[in-house]
Amino acid sequence: MHPSITAAALLALVAMAAPAQQMGDTTRTDSTARADSAARADSIRIVREIEAMSAGASADTARPTTVSAGRSGPVNPRLLPDISAVGDIVGDFTPRGSTQEDGTRFGVREIEVALQAEVDPYFRGDIFLGVNDLEKVSIEQAYLTATALPGALEARVGRFLMPVGKQNTTHRHDLHSVEYPWVVKSFLGEEGLTGTGLWVSRIFAPFGFYQELQVAVVDRFGEDEGDLRTTEPVNEELSALGYSARLRNYWDLSEASNIELSGSAITGKRAQPLVCGVDALSCIGDDGEALGVAARQTVFGADFTYRWRPLQQGLYRSFILQAEWMRQVNENDPRIPDELALTGAAYAGQRGSRSGFYTFARYQLTRRLYLGARVDHLDSPSREEEAGGSLNAQSAYLEFFPSEFSKLMAMFEHVDQSGMELAFPDLGPSRRANRILLQATFALGPHKPHPF
Amino acid sequence: MPIRIAAALLALFTLPIAPVAANAQLKVVTSTTDLYDIARAVGGSRIRASHIGEGYQDPHFVEAKPSFVLKIRDADVWAFVGLDLEIGWMPLLINGARNERVRPGGSGYLDVSTAIPLLDVPQGKVDRSQGDVHPLGNPHYWLDPENGKRIAHLFRTRFSELDPSGAAQYAANEKAFADRLDAAAREWADDLAVIRGKPVVAWHTSWRYFAEYTGMNIVGFMEPKPGVPPSPSHLAGLIQTMKRTGAKVIIMEPFYDRKMADFVARNTGATVLVLPPSVGGEKGVDDYIALMRHDISRLAGAVS
Repeated sequence: MHPSITAAALLALVAMAAPAQQMGDTTRTDSTARADSAARADSIRIVREIEAMSAGASADTARPTTVSAGRSGPVNPRLLPDISAVGDIVGDFTPRGSTQEDGTRFGVREIEVALQAEVDPYFRGDIFLGVNDLEKVSIEQAYLTATALPGALEARVGRFLMPVGKQNTTHRHDLHSVEYPWVVKSFLGEEGLTGTGLWVSRIFAPFGFYQELQVAVVDRFGEDEGDLRTTEPVNEELSALGYSARLRNYWDLSEASNIELSGSAITGKRAQPLVCGVDALSCIGDDGEALGVAARQTVFGADFTYRWRPLQQGLYRSFILQAEWMRQVNENDPRIPDELALTGAAYAGQRGSRSGFYTFARYQLTRRLYLGARVDHLDSPSREEEAGGSLNAQSAYLEFFPSEFSKLMAMFEHVDQSGMELAFPDLGPSRRANRILLQATFALGPHKPHPF
Repeated sequence: MPIRIAAALLALFTLPIAPVAANAQLKVVTSTTDLYDIARAVGGSRIRASHIGEGYQDPHFVEAKPSFVLKIRDADVWAFVGLDLEIGWMPLLINGARNERVRPGGSGYLDVSTAIPLLDVPQGKVDRSQGDVHPLGNPHYWLDPENGKRIAHLFRTRFSELDPSGAAQYAANEKAFADRLDAAAREWADDLAVIRGKPVVAWHTSWRYFAEYTGMNIVGFMEPKPGVPPSPSHLAGLIQTMKRTGAKVIIMEPFYDRKMADFVARNTGATVLVLPPSVGGEKGVDDYIALMRHDISRLAGAVS
C-alpha cells in the first residue's frame, strides 16, 4: 500500500477512536442523576437547618462564613507538589523515509514529567524532566521563581525556556504544529532554546496597555556542543555569556480580539567548527572531540500574534494569526587560539548574517477540530559553499482534541531547498521533500492552565 | 553600545508601573460577573470592583489575557468561585500579576467556595474517565440564592477585615442585599411552586444548585459526562429517558451550540430554554437578583 494511503488510514483510525470511546462510555442515566441529586440534597438540607438554628440563636451571626459541608479539611494535607506528565508520540509517514532524528517511523518523542509547587511564601519551584530514547533523562527546565518581589518584578534562577521569540516560550508539545518553525529550529534548536542562569521580568503599563520586559543572563547561548569542544570555555569571559532581552506589547482590540507585538534579542558566544591545517590531528582534542572556536552570535527578531475568539461562541470558534521574523548575525573572524592558528587551522563556522521567518494561521472548525497552515522561509547558513541558498516550506495541520487532555494532529509539509545542505539527507539527493507526520499527546495529572 | 543598552534596560525596569490614582477604595477583582455584582452590593461606594469573565461566556474557558494581569496586579481582593472552575486560566493571571496580596495565603486571596455547602463532591476514586470532573465539588453554586447570601456574608467579613472603618457600612449593605433577595424570593414563590418536581434536562451540571433551590428534577444531562459534548448514542438514550419521565424542557447556557438540544427537542416535543447562568448573560439581566428572577420566571413559564 502507498505510504500516504497508510498514513491517511491510520489518521482516520485515531481520529475515530476518541468519539467511539466516548459513545461507549455514555452510561450516565437519569436514575444516577436522580440518586446523586437526592443524596446531595440531604446534605444541603442539613446545612440549611443548621443555619436556621443559628438564625434563631443570633440574628447577627445568621450565616456561616466558612466551610459548611464538603470542605472540612485541607485539600493537600501532605503538601505534595503537583505531579503531571505529558506524553508526546510522533509517527512519521514520509513516503521516502523517516525524517525523525532517530530514524523511527513511530517514536515516543518525549515524556515530560513536571513537579510544581510553592516552595515557601517567597518562592515557587518548577521542575520539568524530559525523557526520550536519545537523551534518556534530561533536565528540561528547573527554576525557582521569586514571587514576593516588589515593583511588579519577577525573578527566576535555574534553567528555563529562553524568552526569545514567541514560539520558543511554548513547550514543543503545546504547539499547534508538530515541530517548531524552521527558523526557530535552525537559530535556537530543535527543541527550542533553554538557558541556565537568571531571568528577571517586569510588567508595566505607562501608556495604558500591557508591556513586559524580560531579560536573562545565562551560562551560554545554546546547549553545550557535545561533539565540538573549544580550547577555551565559551563562557570564560563574562561578556561571552548568553544575554537576552524581550519586550512584549499587548493590546485588546475588542472584547474578542487582541494583538501582541514583541521584539527580542540574544547574544553570546557559541562553539563553531574549524578546518584543520597541515596537521589534521592538531584540531582533534585529547578525548577525540573536534576542536572548535568560540564565536559571537546574535539573534534578534520580532513577532506578531493576532487572536480572535468571540466570547459567547468561544467554545466553537477561534482564529490565530502569528508571524515571526529572526535575523542571525555571526562574528566573521573570531580569534583562533595560537596553538591552532600555528598549525594552519582556519575558521569554518557561520559568517555574516541570515534571516528566517514563518507565518502561521489556525482556524477552529468545531469544538474539537482545528485547521492550521504555516509558511516558512529560512536563509542558508552563511558559509561560502551555501551562500545564497534557502529553504522554503509550506505545511498544513489538522488538530483534533478529544478533550482538554489529549490531542491528535496530522501534518503535511512540503519542503523545497536550494543551495544549502539538505535538511533530510536520508531522503536522497532531491531538493524537495513531502513529509507526513502524525502526533498524539496526552496529559496526566492536575489540570494545567491553557497557554496564551 | 553595551552601556547604552544596559542604561535603556535599567530605565525600563524603573519606569512607573502605571499612573496611580489616589483613592482609598478597596480594589476588588472577581472571576465572574455574579461575584462582581454581589461584591458591589456589599462593598457599595467603598470598593472599586471589576470582573474577568463575562456572563455570556463559559467560565471554564476564559483566556488568560495580559490585560487581565494588569487588573489583578493592583487588586486588594481577588475573589473567585474556586473548586477548579478557573483552573484553566487563573494560575496564569495570578502568577503573572506579581501581586502578593492576591496569591494563596495573601490577605486578598478569596476562595468563595469555602463559604458554600457543596454538591457533587465525588466519592471514591476520581479520574478523567469521568469527564472533566471537579474533584472538590460542583462549582456552579451561585445559582442558589441561599448561596448568594453566603457569598455576600463572606464579602462583608473579608472587606471588614481589610477596611475596618467600613465594617458598619458593609454590614448594612449585606443586610440590605439579603433583604432585597428575600423580598424577591417572596415574589417568585409562586413560580417555585410551579417548578417543584417538574422533570427537566440540563446541558451541563451547572444547574444542580439551581435545581436544589427550585425543586426542578433533573432527569438527565445533554453531556454524557461533565465537559464531554453529546454523542449520538447518549442522545438516543436521553430521548428515551425524556419520553419516559415526561421531561419537556431542556435547559442550556447561551454559550453552547443549541443544534443538539434542538435535535432532542424535535424528537421529544420539548422546549429548549436558553437561560443565562450568570449576571450579564442576557440583555437586561444586570444584577444577581435580576438573574435569579429571570431564570426562575422563564423556567416556570416553560414547565407550566
